Order: sequence, then C-alpha cells, then structure tokens
Amino acid sequence: MLFQTDPSLNLASDKKARKSRTHYLIKFLLRLMAVNFNWRPSKKQYLKSDQGWIDSTIGIRTRNGSITTAIQIKDGKVKTLSKVPENADAVFVLENDDVVKEVLKDASAMMVMMLKNKLLIEGNLNYPLLFGYYISLFTGAPEKTKDRKELASPEATHKTELDNRKKDLLKGEKVDPGVKHLSDPYLSEFSLEDFPRLAEYLDIHFTKKPEICHERPKLLTDWYKQNGFEKDNDGNPWVPELRQANAFKYLMENRKPIIRRGDLIAGTTTTREIGVVVYPDSSGSTIWSELNTADSRELNPYHISEETKEILHREVFPYWIRNRSFREWVREKYNNPVCQQLDERFAVYFLWKTVALSHTIADFPKLLSKGSQVIIEEIQKEMETDVSSDSRKKNPLEAMILCLEGLNAYAANLSKQAFEEAIGENDPERKKELANLGEICARVPKHPCRTLEEAVNALWIGWVALHMENTNAGLSLGRLDQWLQPYYEADMEKLDSAEEREVYIEKAIELIGCFYMRCTDHLPLVADIGNYLFGGSSSDQAITLGGQTPDGEDAVNDMTYIFLKVTEMLSLRDPNVNARYVPGLNTESYLKRLCEVNLITAATPSLHNDNAVLASLEEFNYDPRDARDWSATGCVEPTLSGKHLSHTNCMMMNMVAPLEMALNNGFHPLMKWKVGPDTGEIEKGDFKTFEDFYEAFLGQFKFLIDQSVELNNMLGEAHTYIRPTPLLSSLIEGCIENGRDVTWGGAKYNSSGAACIGLADVTDSLLAIRQLVFEDKRFTLEQLKGAIEKNFEGDEVIHNLILNKVSRFGSGSSEAVEMADRIAAFTHDYFGSKLNFRGGPYTAGFWSMSNHVAFGSLSGALPSGKLAEKAFTPGLTPSPVASRNLLDNIRDVAALNPRNMNNNMAFNVKVVPSSQDSHEQTVENIYSYVKTYFDLGGMQMQLNVVTSDMLRDAMEHPEEYRNLIVRISGYNAYFVTLNKELQTELIERAEYGI
Amino acid sequence: MKDHPLILEIKGNSLDDGPGIRSVVFFKGCPLSCIWCHNPESKQRDVEISFDSKQCIACGSCRDICTRDALSEKNLYYINRNKCDLCLECVDPCPTGALEAVGKKMNVEDIVATVVRDKPFFDTSQGGVTLSGGEPLMFMDFTSDLLKSLKAAGIHTLVETCGLFSFSAFKDKILPFCDQVYMDLKLHDTALHQQYCGTSNELILENLLALHKLSIAGNLEFLTRIPLVPGITDTDQNLSAIASFLKENGIGQVQMLNFNPLWAEKCAKVGVAYPFENKPEMQKWLEPEKLEACKSIFLKRGIEVL
Repeated sequence: MLFQTDPSLNLASDKKARKSRTHYLIKFLLRLMAVNFNWRPSKKQYLKSDQGWIDSTIGIRTRNGSITTAIQIKDGKVKTLSKVPENADAVFVLENDDVVKEVLKDASAMMVMMLKNKLLIEGNLNYPLLFGYYISLFTGAPEKTKDRKELASPEATHKTELDNRKKDLLKGEKVDPGVKHLSDPYLSEFSLEDFPRLAEYLDIHFTKKPEICHERPKLLTDWYKQNGFEKDNDGNPWVPELRQANAFKYLMENRKPIIRRGDLIAGTTTTREIGVVVYPDSSGSTIWSELNTADSRELNPYHISEETKEILHREVFPYWIRNRSFREWVREKYNNPVCQQLDERFAVYFLWKTVALSHTIADFPKLLSKGSQVIIEEIQKEMETDVSSDSRKKNPLEAMILCLEGLNAYAANLSKQAFEEAIGENDPERKKELANLGEICARVPKHPCRTLEEAVNALWIGWVALHMENTNAGLSLGRLDQWLQPYYEADMEKLDSAEEREVYIEKAIELIGCFYMRCTDHLPLVADIGNYLFGGSSSDQAITLGGQTPDGEDAVNDMTYIFLKVTEMLSLRDPNVNARYVPGLNTESYLKRLCEVNLITAATPSLHNDNAVLASLEEFNYDPRDARDWSATGCVEPTLSGKHLSHTNCMMMNMVAPLEMALNNGFHPLMKWKVGPDTGEIEKGDFKTFEDFYEAFLGQFKFLIDQSVELNNMLGEAHTYIRPTPLLSSLIEGCIENGRDVTWGGAKYNSSGAACIGLADVTDSLLAIRQLVFEDKRFTLEQLKGAIEKNFEGDEVIHNLILNKVSRFGSGSSEAVEMADRIAAFTHDYFGSKLNFRGGPYTAGFWSMSNHVAFGSLSGALPSGKLAEKAFTPGLTPSPVASRNLLDNIRDVAALNPRNMNNNMAFNVKVVPSSQDSHEQTVENIYSYVKTYFDLGGMQMQLNVVTSDMLRDAMEHPEEYRNLIVRISGYNAYFVTLNKELQTELIERAEYGI
Repeated sequence: MKDHPLILEIKGNSLDDGPGIRSVVFFKGCPLSCIWCHNPESKQRDVEISFDSKQCIACGSCRDICTRDALSEKNLYYINRNKCDLCLECVDPCPTGALEAVGKKMNVEDIVATVVRDKPFFDTSQGGVTLSGGEPLMFMDFTSDLLKSLKAAGIHTLVETCGLFSFSAFKDKILPFCDQVYMDLKLHDTALHQQYCGTSNELILENLLALHKLSIAGNLEFLTRIPLVPGITDTDQNLSAIASFLKENGIGQVQMLNFNPLWAEKCAKVGVAYPFENKPEMQKWLEPEKLEACKSIFLKRGIEVL
C-alpha cells in the first residue's frame, strides 16, 4: 500500500487465503464492467476528462483475504487484476463476504456498511467516489423514491395547533431604552399576509427542489487550468494567497449577476433558485458517486442537470482528485496518519476542518460603514507605510485587494443587470425598484452605506462573496440588529410624519424578510451519508440579536424586534437565530417576546445568558469591549465579532468513545481496532476503585483528543496551502496590520472549538459504575461489561438497577452535577492545553448538532443503560429518565460551571403547552422557566414547543408539516426532512407539560 | 411529635395546584374515605407497600428476601397483605421499583430543604408550596410548623383540604402561616355524604362558611372546588343544592375538577379492589357537554366557574 494503515486490517490480506465464491462473483462483475468500458464507446467516453484519460486503480479485498481483486483503468483501457497492486489509489476493505452480498442486494446498504465499519476505504477517498460514479453508469438511477418535498402541495398548512399559536399575539410596551420608534415593539399588528412577496418566497422555499450548481467550481477550475495550481505558468510555485485571490476575482467578474424575480435585494449565491454550492477544494467531490442518483435519494434529494453532471465529471472533479483537497493533501503529506484514519471511521470524531474553516464572523460594520474602497486604501497604506513589509506581508495584502476588487466587480455587474431589467420592465412599481437596486449596487459595498436598503444589499453582496471563497458551513452573520440600527435610525430621521414612519416600519420588516429568504438561496452539498450524520442541517448562518453593547449598555433596539418579527412570521430553519439575554440589564418585556417567538415558531430563537457566556470567556483576557460583542456562530458558539478566527466547530468529538475504549483496554468495539493505549483490563481485575477506572477513561480520552488535535492542525496547514481566504482576511481585524491571511493566524484573536458530544451519557455511565459497582456492589464491573456486550439481553436486572437506582445528571443530584463538572473540566483543560495551527487555544463546547444520533448509532450499549445504536442525549441535555420534574433538569444544567464550557453548550427542553391556557398564560409559563434558569446561571437553552403526538403525526403526514421546525442540538431543521433515527430521537426526548 | 405524618411524595413543577409553579407535598392519611378517592394510597396514615405489576420483570429478587412467604404471582395483588409484616426488606433489592414503600417519614426541615431548591421558580412565577394529601389538616401541629417554616423562607403557601378539621385549631395554628386554601365540597346531602365519604358533612359545611368569612375579611384566599364523580357528585340534584348553598352564603366562585379515570390501576398497587369495575361511565373522562351542563348550574346562579 501507499500508506501506513491500521495493522489489524492486514492480517491475511495478501497471504494465499482460500478464495471464496464471492471472490469469483466480484471478479466476474469487474470483468463485465471492463468489457463494457473497453468495447462500448458510449461508456468509454466517461473514462476521459477534458485533461485526458482519468487513470485509477481500485482494489477490493476482505480482511481475511477470501476476496482480493482490483480494477485498473489506465489510458482508457480497463482490466481486472487478481491481486491488489501496491500502488492502488484506493482499496475497499470488507469485513467479510457478507458485506458484498448485502451491497449487491441493495446498493444503499453500502453507506450503512461504511458507517458500521464493515466496509473501509484505504487510500484516497476520491477514487472510490469516481468508482461509484462508474458503477452508477451501469446500474442507472435507482427507482425514484417519493420525494418528500414533492408530496408537499402549496395548500398544505400547519396543523391547527400550530396555527392557533399565531392568534392573539401579545402587544409589547416601549420599555427597552434602545427602542426609538416602535410603539408596540412586538409588532403584533403584522402577519405574513401583509407581505405577499415573502409569502411567495416562502412557498417556493418549501416546494422547490434544490439543484446542484456548477458555476463556482467550473469558473474556478477553468482559471486554475489556465494559470496553474501548484505552479504558475512560468513554473514558479504559486503564492497560495495570490493564486486564490486571482481565481476569486476571475470568478466574481464572470459569474452571472442575478436578481431574483421581485426581490428587494440583488445577487444570488448560485445560478439556481435554490442552489447547492460545490466546493471541490474541500468536500465537493463527495457527490461524484451520486451524480446519477442524488435526484432520487430519499432524504434531501437534489436536482442535477445533465450539463452539470457532464461538467462536474469531466471538467471539475478530475482536476482535484489527487491531492488538491484538504483531506487528500494531508494524506499525501503525512502518509495517511492514524489520526486521519480515525476520522474516516466516523465513530470517534469528525473534523469539520476537512470541509471548511468558516465558523467565524466577518467585520460587517466595517464593510458597511467604510466601504470596500476605503478598506483597499487602508491596505495600500499598510503596504506603503510598513517599511518592514517584505513579500511575506505584501503578498497576502495584495491578495486582499484583489479580492475586494472582485467583490466590487460583482456589485457593478449587478448594478448593470438591474438597470437593464428596469428598462425591460413593464410594471411601473417594479421598474422603480429595479432602478433603485441599480443605484444601490452602483454605490455599495464599494462606498459607505447611507440607508437601510443600501446596508442590507451591501451585507448580502458581501455574504455571497464570502461564500464564493469559503464553504457554506457555519459561516455566520453576527449582530445584525446592532449593525443595521444606525441605518434604520438615519432613515427614520428623514421622515416627518407618523404615517411615513408606519409605512417605513412595514418596509423594513419586508426588507429583512427578503434578506432571510435570500439566505435560503443556497444549501450545503451533503452526500447521502451526511443525511445520516448531519441530518437536515442547512449551512447554519447564525444571526445574533439583543444582549449588550461593547460598553455594557442594553443593546435591544428597534431592529432587534424587527428581526424577531421576521423570525416569527417566516419560521425558517436557517438563518439560525440566537438571542442574547443579560440578566439584570435586558428587560422582561424583551425576554417575554423571545419566549413568545419560541412558542409560535416552536423552536427559535436559541436563548443565551450573556453573564455565563462572558464568564466562560474570562480566562482569555479578551478586551472586555470585544468580549461583549460576541455573536453565536454556526449553532451556538461564541465568536468575538469581526476580530476572531474562532473556527468554533473544527471538530465533533465523541466523548463516549473513550469510555467504550476504557472498558476494553483501548480496543474500540465498532471499529474492531485496538488503537488506544493500554489502560487496564477489567477481566484481570485492574480496577480496584472507581478512580482507577476513571483514570482509564481519561487515558483513552487524552489519546483521542491528542489524535484529533494532531489532525486538526495538519488540516489547518492544508488550508494555508489549498485555500487561504484573503477576502475574509480583509474583513477580520488584525489581518491587515499583520499582513497575514486568517488561515495563517492573521486575526486579532485565534482559537479552535470542539463540540464534545455525550456528556450526559458519560456522566450517567460513570455515576452508575461508581454507585452500583464500587459503592453498593450490586454487580461487578465484569458483569456490567458482559451485560453491555449483550445489549442487556438476559441481564434485565442489571439494566433495571441502572435505570432505576442511579441519581443521574438532571435528577437534582449535586453529586451528578459534580461528576459532570469534573468531566467537563477535564475536557476543557486538556483541550485548552493544546494550541492550534494558528497559535490559538482550543475551546470545549457541549452541543452536538445531530451527531448525538450518529455517534449514538455507532456505539454499543452503555453503563448508563443506553441500548446499542440508540442516540445519546442532545448536547448536554439530561437523559429523559433522569427525572419527571423539569425543574430538576433545569437546576442541574444551570449549576454547571460555565468556565468549562468556553465553546458554549446546548440544553434542549421540550415543553407542551396546556390546551387550557391562553396564549398569554403559556408565554408567561415559558418565561418563568427561562427567566429562572438564567437567574440560576444557566448558559444556554433551546426550546421545542411541540408534542410527541404532533411529531408522530408529522412522520405520518409530512405534507401537513412541511414548515415545522425543530431544534436538534444547536441548529434548526425541518422535521420532515430528517432521517428516521433523528425523528425518533426527537420524539423520545422527555416532554414536560407547561 | 405526637401527630407526625408520613409524606407520600413531594411533586415539583406543578402548574395545577394553585398559582404559578408549585411544589406539592402529599400527606398520608385522611379522615374521609371517599369511595372514588383518586389517591387510595393516601387514605391510611400508616406505611404501606405497593406493587406495580407493569414494572415487574419477575426476577425473583424480592422472593429471595421475603421471610414471610408473602410474595407470589398466585396472590391477587402479588403481595399477601395478611402475611406481609411491612418489614420492607424487599423494596431496595427490587431493580425496577415495582415494589415501593408508600409513605416516608420526613421532618419539617427535610421538606423545607427539598422544596426550597425550587424557590427561584416560585419567585419568577408567583408560585409556592401546596400541601395536599391525604389531609394535611389532620396533622395540625406538624402542618403548622411546616407552614411556619415555609413562610419564614419567604414561600407562598396553599393548603388543599377536605374540610373536616377543627376550625379553632385552624385559626390558631394554620391561619397565621397560610396564604390560600382550596377546599373540596363533594356532596351537599348529609346522608349521601355519610354513605359515600364515610362521615357526615355538617362540620365540613360549617368550616366552608367559616373559611369564606376569613376570606371576606382578607385573612386568606379561599376557593371551593367540586370534584365531579359520575352519578355521585355530578348529579343535577347535588350540584343544584351546592350552588344554592353557595349562593345563599355569598360564595361567588367555584372550580370544577373533572373525573380522572386513570386512577383505577392505583388501587391494585395498594391491594384494594377498584370499586367501579363494572361501571362504564367510570372508565372515561366526562364529556365536554356534561362538563358544560355542570358548569351552567352554577353560572345560572351567578357563580363564577374557574
């Protein structure tokens, strides 16, 4: 093999093992494939890219060698080999012959086999994707399963229970000091019916199938083919920043300027109405094998035109296949390190850095208030005045200028487009709007914004540009209420009469509504396997509202309430709305409104306690003004807006994996890999006390953290080479002064954040072991291990003792809180002892996206009583069996020490309003819980205001619930787009009547 | 203390037992013995043992421990209560909690320490602690101490009572520390009351009026509640008689409590037969139309129904 691999895989591979019948079957099928490629020109043409033949060698073997074969494609000729050659690009390693039988029966089983580690891939992951594409040429698209979206008819509506929540809206009082012009800050007189434009967009959002767009990858790949990637046309190595900047500028100058029909905001992320963006430099080629099938997959299908398929297969993916993605660059440079192999087994950690370095927040206030032209001048001045400015500093600065010029070029094209459309427009109203857009885009983002509509358009154009440079995965918008309020106030000052102001407020709501709908114009590219790992997630563009100003004043303003009104009316999963609440500073009226919006939308905004978040950041000695200016990123994580490359979701760490490894002396049961250190054997009686076992857990956890950090740092380096981001750098404080790209650590503040998943499950497991094994001696650790391995079958006594006798986290037990704090403190301290590639610290958060389900399904039964393959609890939410009393949950979570959670947390609470209570009373009830939780010091809380019956009903009748959003862990999703496992997890969450 | 009660349960986060978010302390023991009592485990003062067949996994842990041979699947309710001496040794080994001791000795400090953890929730929601049962006023001294301690901790207090208590003791021991009283009125007719509740209702009606007087004087908040039991308390006759009685005495507000059919299984747990096995009307909630009809009897007389 090319690379070092898990030695356990090589037991008998190339020995003369007896070949099985399946071996001959596989060989036969590969031969059939070879004959077809060699003799049928209609198939053979797919072996060629626009750069020539695509060569590849793919091996297939079982662990014991019962199957060993390969297919080699070279210069357009295909042949089968009876051995797997040393230089194979990739090898499928199967656990045994049965895997083949399963996959032949049902192709979709392949994904499950991969997740369950029954089918592994050694080597470059892009080649198996290409191979998958070849197979689809023969098998064709599978029979079309009924697309859930197609089931939805435009008439489909909410169930009445949800509709009723929109009746009798509360009126607010003008009590927040920052609210200037709203007499009813709750804006209760408005509803979606007042905004036909938004209603139409919302309908399209729910009915239009997303389509993969090739514009970005094609234009960029064209440029690289012309100008080189590793070396320029003169044969000199490219400076990566300059290469990216030139390519970016080319992209921005040449992409199609589009103004959506009827929109008040110009520009689109893709050329499709709802487009899926392809980033071949990160994980874009994961869709290669699905080009012919993604249209008919069950979950979140994508339309792909024939043209797009051709372009991606022939012109784009082959160019990136070998080592031009982050993942493959690391594999080649570091020889397929163990830390990378662990990542690719799905079960212990997942590094988002393979996809993006984008969980951060740009300095939009600077772009809006100064304009890109002034920023260019600032950069030029920096280049001139800093005499120490050598090429190391000069090149990144020059790259920033090129990118800002690209941004301006796109805006200029939009302006031209708007004027052209205005000329051809017959409707006089729309004609005016288009001409206005032409004026706006001619001015911004190049020059300072003066009005709210200029600011919103500049924001959007900047947002599109950032997504042309960087993957749409968690890049976040920040404190938009704070940043837009000055333009709103400036507009208001020009208005004389109360009537004019009323009209303006309605316009402002519509404009922000259009902005939300713009944010839904793109989706991240998710390979089908991702539907199971990250179900239903969009790109998680977090908006943050409320809280305090950098000076510590109440920050709630008119725009806060306008954003909340839009959030309430549209009930979108994305943008992901987060609200900051400062106990003792923000008003009750504001917090009540947050509760009301949660009731009406069922799941948003997510609620944060500023005091706890700031306490969690204290250790870094950030400038307090910067710290108070934090925004949520992706899901919930804090980034100091515009100054901080926080990559707050660099990885998702499975905290249960080290527990399973501690029970097995470093062996991971699902991976069947003794990868961790020796930490003691239960069978040999190595654990005399609970502390002995706890040490073993820490030993395995340290090992996994070490590995994940090692890989994250390698990937950090890969970003500097494959995809530095000069545009983002120009909009993050520090990069200009330092003359460094953000990927190199140019930002004022740097950190990397982990999402640590399964805290409640690990805490409960360790409590069960301490209490039942070591204190009460109800059974031995060996008996417990035996029970776990049998998934408690035949061990009902042990299982029930665990379920009924342990004071779990969330039961109102101070010992359980101490245990959770102890584990969280270790996690925080150990991650905190590491530095990332950019020189910043690691932070630890306890939220899970949807990976509590994915990691749960890849883990066995646990000492906590969890059954094999069942989900963990979301974020750090207590287990549903912890207590029947919601207050116990709330008190225990609030009691956790925020200092251990500097990458935030997610506490899910599912509440069910009583049908007897009025709207007002229900809001009061929710408010009582939320307010008290915050008074007790709780950091974050997110609500699902639904019933399990409603969710079950939605599983049966997805068409009736197309817009039912649910909070997973940190992000929102449409319930009906989720995989069954996630839907079940949501239903099984504890449910509390209020 | 001479009248130290057992506590059945302290239930947190209740939204149905008074204003705001409340913790409810359930006392064990009641002077009435209403045939429909939804909490059959609260009737007796003494400790009992309960068995939940739904939770039992038949592991036999309890049988291994029992020295009286009181546990067997052959027994109607698993536990032969004639043999059982309530040693309760079988409870802890039971892995599922199918076997449970009913009633726990708690002193005032224990109870206050438990409920005070939720005080922040009481404060934001204007909630507090409700004493229920069983009958808290059967234990005047203990209840008095408990209420006193709760008030000292700044907690709003509410007592739910069946109305059978000594009013003079109430005035001395309870009233100073009690913010609110919910009192049940089941049957107006004395004979029927005797028949279904095991005692006469004369004292109860007397106390009701006395409490009402206190509320008029602003000494406490007071609410009359009427549990609706099909065919027993929900009859036109009974409700009309109650309504007239209230009207005559100037009581302008009542609350109806819908019959809850889900308590049947609670009987088996404490080893008593469900008294309404053969009555279909007792196996379901009251129909909305019936509820409305009941309400209208009061509304007609100008009595507000909550």
